Amino acid sequence: MAEPLERMTNVLALLLETKQPLTLHQIAAGLTNQYPSNHAALRGAFERDKSVLREIGVPIEQTVLAGDQAGQTAYWIDRRRYELADLDLTDDERRALQLAVAAVRTDEAWGREGLLKLGAGGEGPSRAVAATVPTFESLPPLREAVAARATVQFEYRDLRRSLDPYGLLLRDGYWYVIGHDHQHREVRTYRVDRIAGGVATGPSSAFTRPDDFDIRTVFPADPKLLGEAEHETNLAVVRISAARAALVAGEVGEAAVVARHDNGSIEVEVPCVNRDAFRTWVLGMTTHAVVLQPADVRAEVVEWLRAMASPTAVH
Amino acid sequence: MAARDGISNGGSLMARRGPRPAPERLRRLLVMLPWLMERGEVSLSEMAAHFSLPANEVVADLELASMCGLPPFIDEMIDVFIDEGMVFTGVPRVFTRPLRLTAPEGFALLTAGRAAMAMPGADPAGPLGRALDKLAATLGDDGVVVELGRPALADDVAQAALTCQRLAITYWTPSRDEATERIITPRAVFADQGHWYVLADDERSGDERSFRIDRILAARPTGEVDEPRQVTLPDTSRWFADDADIERVTVRLPTELTWMIERYPVDSLVVDPDTTGASLAVMPVASEQWLQRLLLRLGARAAVLSPPRWSDLAERSAVEVLAVYDDVNCDS
Repeated sequence: MAEPLERMTNVLALLLETKQPLTLHQIAAGLTNQYPSNHAALRGAFERDKSVLREIGVPIEQTVLAGDQAGQTAYWIDRRRYELADLDLTDDERRALQLAVAAVRTDEAWGREGLLKLGAGGEGPSRAVAATVPTFESLPPLREAVAARATVQFEYRDLRRSLDPYGLLLRDGYWYVIGHDHQHREVRTYRVDRIAGGVATGPSSAFTRPDDFDIRTVFPADPKLLGEAEHETNLAVVRISAARAALVAGEVGEAAVVARHDNGSIEVEVPCVNRDAFRTWVLGMTTHAVVLQPADVRAEVVEWLRAMASPTAVH
Repeated sequence: MAARDGISNGGSLMARRGPRPAPERLRRLLVMLPWLMERGEVSLSEMAAHFSLPANEVVADLELASMCGLPPFIDEMIDVFIDEGMVFTGVPRVFTRPLRLTAPEGFALLTAGRAAMAMPGADPAGPLGRALDKLAATLGDDGVVVELGRPALADDVAQAALTCQRLAITYWTPSRDEATERIITPRAVFADQGHWYVLADDERSGDERSFRIDRILAARPTGEVDEPRQVTLPDTSRWFADDADIERVTVRLPTELTWMIERYPVDSLVVDPDTTGASLAVMPVASEQWLQRLLLRLGARAAVLSPPRWSDLAERSAVEVLAVYDDVNCDS
């Protein structure tokens, strides 16, 4: 009996070179003495080899035969599906990808494995600019589903969701998948790190993505804009103390600065569609930010603070 | 090979110990063989460096490959031999092309490329843009968007890191709530969890420090240039978490608000057995000001359980902020 690695390499070569699908017995006969002769042991060993090959990405095709061998499963590998497509990368393009992978910090070696297949090896060059990109097992199948227009299913907050995924977005350090949710019949956003377990992918070409879909506009850049527009008022004016004026003006942009006072404080006009996000933003500045307008938004923040200031009054 | 002023990325594939498992060896073999066949002959040391493997492991894998074949196993499938530090192959057979990219590999390449495009100094018309177009054409219209939303000064600070220029900065420190003047030499610029940081030599502390770039209120070059220096990026998620000297706070908070603390290092987060709908979080406290801001955001339904000296911090903070509301009226 051969070493498993040697046997797997031989099975792989056999299935790549064969002119017609091969049954388990034909495979075992081809690889003389490499598989156990006992049928159950042979089946077990072949199943293990097959699952390792599939795990590293080898596409093994199978079919159930008719005629003389009716009912038997036969296997082969389609070379066109096995081989890396020719990307036709120039040396500087390959080098640019290598630099990109070196500039990204992740927990996985996926990028470097991919680079090796594209012919870029060695220790990646080092960079003075880098970014951490979080990775999750569910991201690669989600990306493939977006590309294939395949419906996906996953668990999210204890519910099974069915989604036509339109795109993936990394924003503020979190990955989001955005698409048409079957149950809710509308476009919904899910945080990828909150998906529990695996992603089940359905058949390709199951939906069409709207031509005007733009992930950046579907998902508002400012969390204070997120959520249902349940309030009439969408903008609030906030007074920022002199100590924070420069910081906040840099964050919201000069166009949002609606007044400047002699003492150095400023007034900014910012979205407050999402009241939770708005309140979080304002209170994060403690005594340096005061909501001026509109009165109801100001009253909500004051009410929030009063409840905290007299804890006995709350349940 | 590595630039002296760059970042050491650590986690080298070379650092592995013990024999590699069969799936990993097979995966590597399927990349090695076509690479070798394309070249015909190559030095063992170049091959080892390219695949980030010790030379003896490359030899072991190639020896194994040379024993593989096709029925009836009369001649070798892979004609490979090693002589005096050189690896030679004969006629390319069977494994002439690498295995296709797996879903994770394709995802990682596209994402890294898009991330690099969002970094300071990226050139959309350059080779990276063309490489990404070719990748997307092969892997399918991918719909992956990476945003690293960098603050206004990020490009200038990154440029200073590349050229080792000393900068005079005005920096706002949230834990003390004050702006200070500092002299720094940027070494590396990096994005992590939605923020951009600069790792720099800090003149005041004489030490290496990380600064959040959105808290740099102003920066100007001093005209001095320092020697390049290799640095290792910190793991921001462990910044406070590993420091046992930092005081811990236990907060009870409504379970639906636990998202508010997701961005901070948390020692533990469990469901409160005594209060319905509440969770208990134990967290390192960077400063009292930091805790104050967190409590104001969590609101009246959150409470500090320990240490006792902070049990009324939420109440005191709310009173302070309310006082400002009394001073500044709607009509002012």
